[in-house]
Amino acid sequence: MPERTVNLPNPSGLHARPAKVFAKAAKAAPGAVTVSKDGREVNAASVLSVLTLDCHQGDAITIKVEGEDADATLDELVALVESGMGEDA
Amino acid sequence: MTTTLTGRPAAPGAALALAFALADAPGADQPLPESRQGDVDTEVARLDAALATAGEQLTALAERVAESAGEEEAEIFEAHAEFAEDPELRDQAVEAIGGGLSAERAIVVAFGAFRELLAASASEYLAARAEDLDDVRDRVVALLQGRSVEVEAPTVRSVVLARELTPSRTASLPRELIAALVTETGSPTSHAAILARSLGIPAVVACEGVLAAVETAGDGVEVVVDGRSGEVVIAPDDHLRAEVADRIDAEAARREALGELRDEPGQTGDGHRVELAANLGDPGDLEAAIAAGAEGSGLVRTEFLFQDRTDEPSVDDQVGFYLEVLRAFPGQRVVFRTMDIGADKPLAFVARDPEENPALGLRGIRLHLARPELFRDQLRALVRAHRAAADEDAGRLAVMFPLVAVPSELLAARTLLAAAAEDEGVSLDGVEVGVMVEVPSAAVGARRFAEHVDFLSIGTNDLLQYLFAVDRLNGAVADLADVCDPVALGLIGRVIADGHAGGAWVGICGEAASDPVVAAALVGLGADELSMTRVAIPEVKDVLRSLELERCQRAVHIAMEEGADGREVRALLEEHLGLG
Repeated sequence: MPERTVNLPNPSGLHARPAKVFAKAAKAAPGAVTVSKDGREVNAASVLSVLTLDCHQGDAITIKVEGEDADATLDELVALVESGMGEDA
Repeated sequence: MTTTLTGRPAAPGAALALAFALADAPGADQPLPESRQGDVDTEVARLDAALATAGEQLTALAERVAESAGEEEAEIFEAHAEFAEDPELRDQAVEAIGGGLSAERAIVVAFGAFRELLAASASEYLAARAEDLDDVRDRVVALLQGRSVEVEAPTVRSVVLARELTPSRTASLPRELIAALVTETGSPTSHAAILARSLGIPAVVACEGVLAAVETAGDGVEVVVDGRSGEVVIAPDDHLRAEVADRIDAEAARREALGELRDEPGQTGDGHRVELAANLGDPGDLEAAIAAGAEGSGLVRTEFLFQDRTDEPSVDDQVGFYLEVLRAFPGQRVVFRTMDIGADKPLAFVARDPEENPALGLRGIRLHLARPELFRDQLRALVRAHRAAADEDAGRLAVMFPLVAVPSELLAARTLLAAAAEDEGVSLDGVEVGVMVEVPSAAVGARRFAEHVDFLSIGTNDLLQYLFAVDRLNGAVADLADVCDPVALGLIGRVIADGHAGGAWVGICGEAASDPVVAAALVGLGADELSMTRVAIPEVKDVLRSLELERCQRAVHIAMEEGADGREVRALLEEHLGLG
């Protein structure tokens, strides 16, 4: 199952609007997506779960994708995070 | 049947509209069924229906708020909708139903688990989301119990009635549909009242029994609200309805006439100049303040830049905002009060110990000097904005320090300001520096400050609170802190005289200046500038232009001498000013 670790470039990290944008993308993906920080892994499609990770700018998060088109989905999600998820990265 | 109730006037103006009773937060006090009655599938289907409806309602609410109040205020409800549709939340609730719980109890448990995780976080942002979760939870539970929750917003122009109104609840109401606000609790200085005044909506607070009276009268009842007298009439007769309709027309005509004063300067009838400036809370106020004819700002509350943030705003961010305000007032003075932050307004990015009595704690200039890093950045941003604005037709920078109690604090802050200017290579020529007089020791000792500053600005809200030992948010005692009390006016008069004797000009910032009668009294005491909520500027300008300086002086001195208390002083002021 493909996974990759990225540092959050945007000011609010995985809070506020970026958390929503990220969870929405994960929800729309064909496979199951998880995100983890410091060893705690949660369902990336759940904005509530993503919020509980309390990820700030500069934090390293690991995205994992399972199922159909996992590699393509992972690429897309990593690109989304690196773009700042709607905020200036 | 017509019912007349009297509350406390909180924001002027008259209104006649349908009653709209805002229910208390739903779901708080009803016992929930503990265990599931039917099979798992039935219970899960109930849950899914409730979650889906909650999501739809919240999305619709977000759209309404976006239209009436703007995208930014709508975001909170968009987030609420996301919470209701969260897959993990649902999974946890479904699991709990499988374990035998009712859908109601299961969703409460699921929300509770997330709430605990968020509330435990050190981040203020996440802790605030924990409270959002409670809102969504209450809505889902109410839906499961078949109770109505669509109480957030009226769909036609209405008089909104509630037991109490938190600022966020008030802000979520569609402004153009609120004819007036009436609450059963609160005081004229509570947040909802201040917000109503700033929005120009008539309001009456502490109007006990109004919800019951409206309920008795039934659906579709009309209500008359008089924000000046505090009178609320339920089911008015035709005679009163016609009278109020006339009054509303007259008020609209008056507003139009006042609008024509916009570009006229603030002065008395005999040409004595008094600057009439606006108090500003956030950039959204700028345009409206200009439209109201504000002559600069006598109080920019910079702390809003720092609140509700998980990280510290950069110097550049601050410069951007300060410049925006300076540019809005070409040729006029803009007084930036350095951030007034205390333990009651904590910042997510500044760790500090809780205090038992934050109003008397490490706040304002005390915090600046104890933790100078944030303060240095703010001063640096202010002088940078000054440099950038110097080449433009912008406003003039003035810097004011909050909660100064002794002169050494002022001197230390001035030293830091000078150091920031030197670091940035900016000259402070033309930058006025002042002290906000709100601590009684600074008011009594004003003379000791005056020679070290360009101006003193009397912050009446806090000065009255500290002078009379009254929590101004506590309706049971708030009346004691009356600016018209002869002791309060006497102290303000002495601060003004002491300021002038030391070569400083003296302004007033605070709610007191927004009352035309009080404003005239303050001018009579010698105030050079009055800074107030923008909504009050046209009315105050009009009244001052109708009065001669000597009349203001005579009225205030007679009133202070003859009046035994605030009520008597006010009556005497009205009589001798020919107002009221």
